[in-house]
Amino acid sequence: MAAPVSNSSGCWGVPEVYKHHEQRKVCISRPKYREGRNAKAVKVYTINLESRYLMVQGVPAIGVMTELIQLCALYGAVEEYRPLDEYPAEEFTEVYLVKFQKLTSARAAKRRMDEKSFYGGVLHVCYVPEYETVEDTRLKLQDRRRYILRAVHNKAKEKEQKETAEKEPTMSSDTATTSERIVMRHDKASDDDNTGEASNVSKHPSFPPLPLPPREYNYYGHKTQHGTVSTEDKMGTLHNAIIVTKQQPAPSSSSSQTSSDGHKGAKHRLTSKPSAVRFVPRSTNLENRKRKMDEGHSLTDATRNDEPLIGPKLPEPPKLDMEDESLNTTVSLIRNTMKQVESVPDLKPVEKKVKPRRRI
Amino acid sequence: MHRYIPSHVSAHRTHLTTSEAKEQVLANLANFAYDPKNMDYLKELQVTDLFLDMLTEENENFVEFGMGGLCNLSMDPECRDIILQSSGISLVTNLLSSRREETVLSAITILMNLTKPSSRSEITDPAILQCMLRFSLSESPRLRNLAAVFLQDYCTEEQVAQAEQQMKGQQTAVGIPLPEDSS
Repeated sequence: MAAPVSNSSGCWGVPEVYKHHEQRKVCISRPKYREGRNAKAVKVYTINLESRYLMVQGVPAIGVMTELIQLCALYGAVEEYRPLDEYPAEEFTEVYLVKFQKLTSARAAKRRMDEKSFYGGVLHVCYVPEYETVEDTRLKLQDRRRYILRAVHNKAKEKEQKETAEKEPTMSSDTATTSERIVMRHDKASDDDNTGEASNVSKHPSFPPLPLPPREYNYYGHKTQHGTVSTEDKMGTLHNAIIVTKQQPAPSSSSSQTSSDGHKGAKHRLTSKPSAVRFVPRSTNLENRKRKMDEGHSLTDATRNDEPLIGPKLPEPPKLDMEDESLNTTVSLIRNTMKQVESVPDLKPVEKKVKPRRRI
Repeated sequence: MHRYIPSHVSAHRTHLTTSEAKEQVLANLANFAYDPKNMDYLKELQVTDLFLDMLTEENENFVEFGMGGLCNLSMDPECRDIILQSSGISLVTNLLSSRREETVLSAITILMNLTKPSSRSEITDPAILQCMLRFSLSESPRLRNLAAVFLQDYCTEEQVAQAEQQMKGQQTAVGIPLPEDSS
């Protein structure tokens, strides 16, 4: 086990190799039950072992970072991620650090992604609470305590309701119990998510899961540029989804980051943009985009100049990605045509001055 | 996962020893305790007492799993009170000197969970504070972070300053050593 160096540069400093992360040499025929972390098969999970920071090992080094993060984002908003180049990795694989916005998301992602095949490799996902800051740890404990007290409180209420319902079987108490039961179910749903059931995720793998109703607390000191965690889009849906902006790993693009800590390698931060993700029908999407194209790229240009820079600066204007090859081709064809059409009135045909040839 | 455990063990051994079986049961119980939905049932079974009994065992796995279980249960007010009534503070404090990092981490967390007005003075005993101060300088980030939260959120500044003074006054490093496997 490597001797760790004291690390005071925050969670993004050089990581240390910890005993409980080390795996033995991986064999393809690894039995399913192997945790891969300890010699023993048994492990007790406490709040100290869990974290909203996950480490993903075994990612095939074939340029699938974006796909990996998109997969992670299915389980909840991803706040930050970066490759862990310094961490020992097997040949032809990469290791990533992924920071989720919520512990429950990390828990679900770990459960669903660990030991799963991904682009020909097998992922090994584990919590890495070592990357937490003191504040991260503090908030983690507070959240856990709040969750437990709420569960205990609800249980007590439930018991009370049962007892009063048994004592007075009147109409009023029935309706009261019904509404309580509805509240219970809601809480149960959120409890389920807390314990990592997240069953709705598996049904719609191509969309981020529907977000839970807002919690009473926003527990992050880290402020996005809009200062909130949950945002309401035009559909009136509350979502915590954070899109993956196109990441260019080139160092030159990250030099202008305001968030840069001077670390090697690209550090990717995802910002919460209220206008980014919408759950709209495809036809509405097409109409919207067509309208935007007609307006020109003024919207994009304006936002580019006004917004404070967070995250890696894109080297070129973001292209509209319709997430469909044929649509993308269509879009670029139309755009090119538009450009040509727009440019004609402005340009005078260049008159080629023909110099009369001198005849000797 | 649990149904694979016997086959895992048989891959390495010819039989399952009693203590291994016990470890597995204990670990399972501790993991059940992580979900508050199970807490009522576990309280009925008096599992808190079982975990407390494990703390004085020789077997370090028993201790670690028992502590994990208590770490999970101790956020529940009823379990907290049961632990307090059973001299939990001293049992847990003894384990701050364990060689196992997980045990130590559980110990710090349990002490935080056990803190209420009536128990606060015992939990912020100078010896414990000095231990936490040493932990806050550890190479292990988890240990450092937990100790920092303890010192910042569960103690007054005066208490911490006093403990620091006492530590400076000591010539040799006496008291509770850092866990072996934290470095």
